[in-house]
Amino acid sequence: MIDTFHIGMFAASLCIIIAFFSFMKETDDLHRLLLTDLASVMALFLIALVGTDLAEALILPGLVVTISKLMALTEIYLVKEGIQRNQPARTLDIEVLQSAPAILASILVLYGIFLSGFSGGAVAGLGVIFYIICKGHQERFELIETVSGYAWVAWIAAFFIILIFPSQWFLAVMIAGGAILIKVTAKLSLIGTMRGESDV
Amino acid sequence: MSPLFIIGFGLIILGTVATAWPSPKDYITRLINLELPAFGILLVMLSFDETLALLTFIAVTSISTFLFVRVIEKREGTP
Repeated sequence: MIDTFHIGMFAASLCIIIAFFSFMKETDDLHRLLLTDLASVMALFLIALVGTDLAEALILPGLVVTISKLMALTEIYLVKEGIQRNQPARTLDIEVLQSAPAILASILVLYGIFLSGFSGGAVAGLGVIFYIICKGHQERFELIETVSGYAWVAWIAAFFIILIFPSQWFLAVMIAGGAILIKVTAKLSLIGTMRGESDV
Repeated sequence: MSPLFIIGFGLIILGTVATAWPSPKDYITRLINLELPAFGILLVMLSFDETLALLTFIAVTSISTFLFVRVIEKREGTP
């Protein structure tokens, strides 16, 4: 009896072997970094094959760990090669980054607020990143950090409401959802400032 | 086994081969080829009805593309 799960397992094993051989023969560090992303896609494929709510619950932290790992590794690569202060080449000049970013960013932020919670925060933060990358930024880190701190306090307060007044669970869930939305948005929007001329 | 799963499955295998041995072996080709398995996994998630994972994956993939573009631009740039 061969079902979907087993076929998927065979395919994933094949892909992992291919990626491993390619990884072994590679000597350039940036190529290796790109292959790391391929390996994370393989891992997500393996988890997604489970096909239940458990898979969904496992994929979300996996994605967050993947993106933080990539950010850390790219920073380490830049420092190691000593190219952190390079003037970036404009070979990859993307047209969309210059034209009409405001409406796309606002659509993303509105959709993120509609989703709420962690995923909503991620989508809204993506909109903010997109806007900051396209339009440039001033140094407003204090404001973002303050908002993020208050959101954290609201999140903790929501947990206390759940523990002390269990009858008010709906209010607490709403507060927690809104607070984590603001917090993830603020944290993600800090990524957008990394691309500017002043270095991180 | 739905058609969506079969298409996504084929895209993942083809995309892995294309990313492992890109034809002109430079960074941009490999970065673009990496979108193939990513699209395949989106179709697999769609066939299993994993909406939340799918949306978050879209957001995270675009951020990681920005990160890679930034590193490649610095690498090719002049000091």
